[in-house]
Amino acid sequence: MTQPLAGVRVLDFGLLTAGANTSAMLADLGADVIKIESGTYPDPFRVLGKPDDTPGWWNRSPLFRFTNRNKRGVALDLKTPEGQRLARALVAQCDVVIENFRRGVLDRFGLDYAALRAINPRIVLAAISSQGDTGPERMNVSFGSTLDATSGIAALTGYDGEEPRISGMDVNYPDQVVSLFATGVVIAAIMEARRTGCGAFLDFSQREVASFLIGEEILAASADPARHDARRAGNAEGGVVLQDCWRSQDGRWIAVTVADDAAAARCGALIGALSAPLREALPAWIAARSADAAVASLLAAGIPAAPSNDGTHLIADKALAGVSLAWTQDGDLAKGLPYALDGGGVMLQRAAPDLGQHTEAVLRDLLGLSADDIAHLQAQGVTSTTPQIGDV
Amino acid sequence: MNADAPRPLSRFTVIEVNDTDVPSCLRLATSLATRIAADLGATVIKIEPPAGDLVRRLPPLLPHGPNVERSALFQYLNTGKHSVVLDLESAPGIARALTLAGKADAVVFETPGRNAEALRHTRATPIEIAAFAAGMAHPGPVSEFTIAALAGLLHMVGEPDRQPLRLGGHQISYAAGLTAFTGLSAALAARSQSRVAPSVRVSLAEVAQWVNWKATSGTHAAGRSPGREGGQSEFQVVRCADGYVAVVFTVSQWPPLRDLIGDPRLADPKFATRTGRRQHVGALYAIMAPWFAARTRQDIQGQAQARGVPFGPVFTPAELLETEQYTARGFLADLSHPTLGPLRLPQLPVQWNGRSFAPHAAPGLADTPARAAE
Repeated sequence: MTQPLAGVRVLDFGLLTAGANTSAMLADLGADVIKIESGTYPDPFRVLGKPDDTPGWWNRSPLFRFTNRNKRGVALDLKTPEGQRLARALVAQCDVVIENFRRGVLDRFGLDYAALRAINPRIVLAAISSQGDTGPERMNVSFGSTLDATSGIAALTGYDGEEPRISGMDVNYPDQVVSLFATGVVIAAIMEARRTGCGAFLDFSQREVASFLIGEEILAASADPARHDARRAGNAEGGVVLQDCWRSQDGRWIAVTVADDAAAARCGALIGALSAPLREALPAWIAARSADAAVASLLAAGIPAAPSNDGTHLIADKALAGVSLAWTQDGDLAKGLPYALDGGGVMLQRAAPDLGQHTEAVLRDLLGLSADDIAHLQAQGVTSTTPQIGDV
Repeated sequence: MNADAPRPLSRFTVIEVNDTDVPSCLRLATSLATRIAADLGATVIKIEPPAGDLVRRLPPLLPHGPNVERSALFQYLNTGKHSVVLDLESAPGIARALTLAGKADAVVFETPGRNAEALRHTRATPIEIAAFAAGMAHPGPVSEFTIAALAGLLHMVGEPDRQPLRLGGHQISYAAGLTAFTGLSAALAARSQSRVAPSVRVSLAEVAQWVNWKATSGTHAAGRSPGREGGQSEFQVVRCADGYVAVVFTVSQWPPLRDLIGDPRLADPKFATRTGRRQHVGALYAIMAPWFAARTRQDIQGQAQARGVPFGPVFTPAELLETEQYTARGFLADLSHPTLGPLRLPQLPVQWNGRSFAPHAAPGLADTPARAAE
């Protein structure tokens, strides 16, 4: 594949999913991404996903390794003046800075946008935060599903007439979608910087991204006072005759969408329920069949149907995996691409970096530091290859 | 910054082709991707069949307005676009669409649309939206819901012994729409440097599975799949005096949460570790419930944030129209629609050097004569 972002260099302060994955998507398009961490503040995914307590655990977290492949890793303690000086020197060599710290942290490091622009007027700073960089709630903290609730998605998610539901720890939906949007905007800003010589400060609010994804409901509420209350409706959907999951004889949940009256007539004919309501007849029909048989018959009748898969099905299904998962040469699994580019998936150039794995190479090649300089930084604790923290 | 200054994508033209007989879940992804491009300044020409984009008839419907305008979904997904009506089942219609695409930078369309093959081979970079990965045997009819099931996202939400639940709204289509926008942006970046742009193919199933990556990561690491934990989950949605609050916290946020609730029973050693809290999650929430029940969302959020605990009050879409944070940031744009009147809607969730990108109204059917667009 051609590499749309070949020649672009990214300084990546991104953590967890929202920030780190935006940089990963830029790396997948050909950018050289340098991830900055430190022993005192490694990416929390190194800790959250740690498999055991034996030395080197911080380099083995699947959550970290899934997200940070195709990057180089540098350890610089940004709480030290020397770490800050080196970070600023790197900014001069980069096109983009990505960060999702709490508001104010970058300022304390002397790396706010005004400082970055003074070093490099073409720099694009993408700041991804919970609430955005302005407004009365700018300092609010959130963690994944906090934003399911505050964005409005949870109010529309839940069993019929019951309490709202969040996507939860194992999905953290609002964290996943922000990078799908932010990456495209960062690329637009890189184009503008090339054309005009002026960079940009891009202020992303994760909560706004999540609300953007239910925008038609907000628009409808603005024009229709009758829509003041949000009601959960299970799996039902406006304009759709019948939609839900029912259990098959072999215990799988089968998702079915009967979109309109024509589909309802076809479904009724298939299951022999021309008079009984589908809502009662269809569950019984599915319960009397295997998942495979029920799905095949419904699809043949032109009715969307599918089993509810879990992670074991996804890993086993290489066709569904397609480009969005990638197996490394040593049998490890990593995140792939959300799209196919020129028909292909991700090109894994390198595995996720160990903490500080490329400190020496990057500081030498980009900033001209000598081996002695780097040994001195190591002795001062400005760089390191081991974390000094416990829980996150 | 000057709201009238040229927008960043104003040098580019994008064609959106709305072929007939395409599942609506694909169209929602197409339309979201090009809406973002239009708000960022690209000229987006939406080619509609004579009866109009099928989304013009999909809910939620506004209480008043002409039939082809009343869909809030359509209005939301098509801001800032031009509409051209062409019969893509006729040779002249197809020829005209291909001419428009040939002059554009990118063309966004769905597979299996009847003209997909021709649209792959114009001078514009093809951005193609499909249900499944390329090369899969024809999978039959689809919906967002059945794709969510196949991609394992349904499995993650709800009670373990009850049916799995979809997320509200159109999350499968919209996640794919955001992805297609980013692919479009990458293609435009390559073209603006005179590089060959990669073709982009987005499938709803692959995007949903990508979003759900912790299911595969977790399965690979543990040998069994994560799944919905419902009432056994560490994070619960609890009732409070005026609604609901999502109780969310990390390991290091447990001590401030415990001190916030202030019930001495929370000091029990069985709650001291994450493993212990997960084992006794029912007892934990039984102790905490009265504290929430006695307080409003605003009170709870204020006290929790003061201690750095990320509780999330549940807001409805209607309540978000009044949210102080959204008002202060100008996130919601006011738009005066020629036939529907005033509408308030989310604008792009980014501020670019402090600038927001206010959307322009979606086009009526046949607003732009095809000749003028050429």
